[in-house]
Amino acid sequence: MLITLIRRELLDNLMTFRFAVAIFIMLLLVVANTAVLLKDYDKRLASYNTAVKKNRQELLETKTYSAGHISLNRAPNPLSIFNIGLDKRLGNEIWISYVYMPTLWDANKHGTDNPFLNLFTSIDLVLIFQSVLSLLALIFAYDSLAGEYERGTLRLVLTHPVGRGYILFAKYIGAMICLLVPLLMSILLSLILLTTSPSISLSTDDFLRIGGIVFTSLVYLSLFYLIGMLISAMTRRTSTALMLAMFVWGFLVPVYPNMILTAVETAPKIGTEASAYNQIKQIWEKHDREQKQFLANDAFPGDDWDFNLIGTGYSFWGGEDDPLTLHYYDYTGSHLETLEEKYELRVPHAQNYHHFLGTNIINTVERAWLIRKPALETIYLQPARIGRMLLKVSPVGLYDGATEAWAGTDLKSIQDFFSAAQRHRRAIVNHFYDKEIFASRKWFTADQGAVDWNTLPQFSFQRSDIGTNAKRALPDLFLLMMINIILFTIILLIFVKSEV
Amino acid sequence: MIWHITKREIYDNLNSLRFALTTGLLIALMATNAVRHLREHPKRVQKYHDAVAASVNLMNSHANDSLYKLAQQGPGKLYKKPSPLHFCTEGGDPLLPDRVEGGSPFQYAEHLTGVWKLEYPDANINMKNVGPDVSQVDWAFIIGYVLSLIALLFTFDALSAERERGTLRLMLANSIPRHTVLISKYLGALISINIPFILAVLLNLLIISTASSVHLNTAAWGRLGIIFLIALLYTSLFLALGLLVSARAQQSAVSLVILLLMWVALVIFMPSTFASIASSSSSSMSPDEFLKHRRLLYDKLSDEYHDQLWSGELDEKTLTGKSEFFIKHAEGRERLNQEFLAQQITQVQHARSISRVSPATLLQHLLESFAGTGFERHLQFLENVKTYARQLRQFVVDTDRADPQSLHIIGVREGMTKRKILPKAIPKFEDTFSFSKDLNTRAIELLLLALFVVALLAGAYLAFVRVEI
Repeated sequence: MLITLIRRELLDNLMTFRFAVAIFIMLLLVVANTAVLLKDYDKRLASYNTAVKKNRQELLETKTYSAGHISLNRAPNPLSIFNIGLDKRLGNEIWISYVYMPTLWDANKHGTDNPFLNLFTSIDLVLIFQSVLSLLALIFAYDSLAGEYERGTLRLVLTHPVGRGYILFAKYIGAMICLLVPLLMSILLSLILLTTSPSISLSTDDFLRIGGIVFTSLVYLSLFYLIGMLISAMTRRTSTALMLAMFVWGFLVPVYPNMILTAVETAPKIGTEASAYNQIKQIWEKHDREQKQFLANDAFPGDDWDFNLIGTGYSFWGGEDDPLTLHYYDYTGSHLETLEEKYELRVPHAQNYHHFLGTNIINTVERAWLIRKPALETIYLQPARIGRMLLKVSPVGLYDGATEAWAGTDLKSIQDFFSAAQRHRRAIVNHFYDKEIFASRKWFTADQGAVDWNTLPQFSFQRSDIGTNAKRALPDLFLLMMINIILFTIILLIFVKSEV
Repeated sequence: MIWHITKREIYDNLNSLRFALTTGLLIALMATNAVRHLREHPKRVQKYHDAVAASVNLMNSHANDSLYKLAQQGPGKLYKKPSPLHFCTEGGDPLLPDRVEGGSPFQYAEHLTGVWKLEYPDANINMKNVGPDVSQVDWAFIIGYVLSLIALLFTFDALSAERERGTLRLMLANSIPRHTVLISKYLGALISINIPFILAVLLNLLIISTASSVHLNTAAWGRLGIIFLIALLYTSLFLALGLLVSARAQQSAVSLVILLLMWVALVIFMPSTFASIASSSSSSMSPDEFLKHRRLLYDKLSDEYHDQLWSGELDEKTLTGKSEFFIKHAEGRERLNQEFLAQQITQVQHARSISRVSPATLLQHLLESFAGTGFERHLQFLENVKTYARQLRQFVVDTDRADPQSLHIIGVREGMTKRKILPKAIPKFEDTFSFSKDLNTRAIELLLLALFVVALLAGAYLAFVRVEI
């Protein structure tokens, strides 16, 4: 009996003109946007590769440790085609140095793209499912019960010995299968386009992640179907149900996310952590004093930090003072390719000084980081977290959050990269300690041989495994499923108790 | 007769669920918008005034020193004036830089500084904000997304439902021409949508104008009027689309599905998809290339003027050489900056003009230009800055020429007048926003929008006249 009911539902929905139109527009959007997104991904990948090559080359050309500029680049995520998340927006090039702790907020953008093009909003495939398929789900649902009340067919069906729960269940299953058709068709179509592209190679894990996205989409669509069904069961008139369903869709999908974040301030709380900034500044000023004192106590006359070492090359001073990202540091270094003989006596002094300076800076960074880390969280992460929480009142927010986590373009996955960068910095600093590089001659001059950069620890970053992705996606997914179950129960209660 | 049917339509709509929901939704959105504007706008204006005062003070202190210092340091940062109609559309304002930097003379050596030039800051890409990215609820959003959707919801069943119920046949049995029915349906829907819309707009303006901190002048009110008319035109477009599909569709449900999918494609996807396609088809100068050109310029000029530049002599030939080098270098840098920017702007404009196929983009562009925000406004600001830069340079030359004792060599201390200059005499930068210019640039878009409306209305008429009932 259940099969018969499901089959009837399927035929009712599938053999309609509206279904054909929906599939057609859906596929059109998917093909056009996949092509655009692929092209964009290719461009980002190309600029990533250029940046990596350029940075490596520049590093290899540098001959002293202090002048070496180690940069790490974050590769674009191929699954950003499904949900772009923060993958494109946040910085993707980070400078690794002993003088500061790299974070997400210190990153820059590599690449040569015109920055004004960000005026145009970026879209992804999840947005298509989010808006078009949810609409379709509501359209399938609005007359599922109300239509049968009106036509009187419900009475007819109930004359057979079928439980009301059965009827609801059959309707639900039938509609879900109908919704699965366009979903799978568009996913498969975009996968075909993806696999034909030479720049993208998807691993087994990636396919599982896409599977996760499909499953989440299905749960999301089921939620909208149930919302439609609830409206249908409550109103009993198709025209009212339709109107209400459309307004609910309009409110939940395009209006609510924008409205709530317009009403509630969730921009970074710039300028609220002035005390943290001052503390960091004081820590660094203390370092400056210690450094001056060291130079004054040093046996070498004068307090020049480069000890007037003269040769072919340059000395540099760099620093940063940015209250927005609580940045405060300075550093010095030299890149001398040759050194005049007569200054040889000064070299031990310089080595001594750089040894002191290097270790002192590293300690200073550690102390500043203890203050900077929580302060950055209050400025940037807290408002972002509140914003995300507010968005999750609407199923759209939950869906977006879950698919972002599956695709690995959410904040946590991006932060993984920067944690890896921090680990890499520690590895390099440890390497400097172990090999006593601060005290070495190669720190500032290359007159007795240049630095072999290949001896440095190598950076490798693996995107988090599928288990981690799943763990991050599951809370939102479970919440979506829970709302599904609650809605189904309510519909069942209303439907069982209603008079036909 | 038209009025009779229209009245019936309006009464029908006023009692319906959709009318109530529309009113609630629009009022909530407009109130959110107004509250946000009241919270943000005073801060924005304050920031602008503080920044302008700071840079004017700096310029005056340079002028107090000497004319030479003014010629060297320039006007400092020049700021874009925030529009009082920011609540109509944000138009990418957070991304666009709010200033041009006219200062930062090149320092060749410790006591050798060039003259000022215009530097254009990059777009503020939002790299540090890790929060969710959403668009603001401004008028452009409310009209472009919500009102257009509502227009479809008011018309999708205008003809098809009557045909289903059979009342259309009844109505046409009275000797009423079909176009009368169509026109009155259109008018009825237009009026019924505008009742809640006007209500919400009035509420919005009421909240905004009660606050003393936000001041709207006559010109602003005039522009609000035009924006309202554009909103009417835009709504008409979707009403006509709704009538067209409704006239042909056999069932209301089919009509609604087609309309909603068209809406999603037109309003949500087409603007960004077309912009992406267009922007990937053209390219702009890469930053590396730009830096290379800049280096080449410096190398060429410093070779040419090497002797005069590094000589400590104070004779006229050396001073003139220095002055020529400074001015040429600054001008060359400025020209390169402008070229680099112009290429980026051309790329964006190309993408913008392609994405005009979507009426939602047309509306966005029109609203931006009348509200004085967004990209076109930014271009106007850049133009204003350029004019001012010319004016200030001319002022320096003229003031110097007025002193017979001066050697008239701009850019070197020994070659310029030592007379005091009055801070009042220096031209001040005033960022203006001209209205007539906008009307000209926007005429095409306005006409395009009108063309869409007329075409769709004609289509609806033809569809309805020929359809069998």
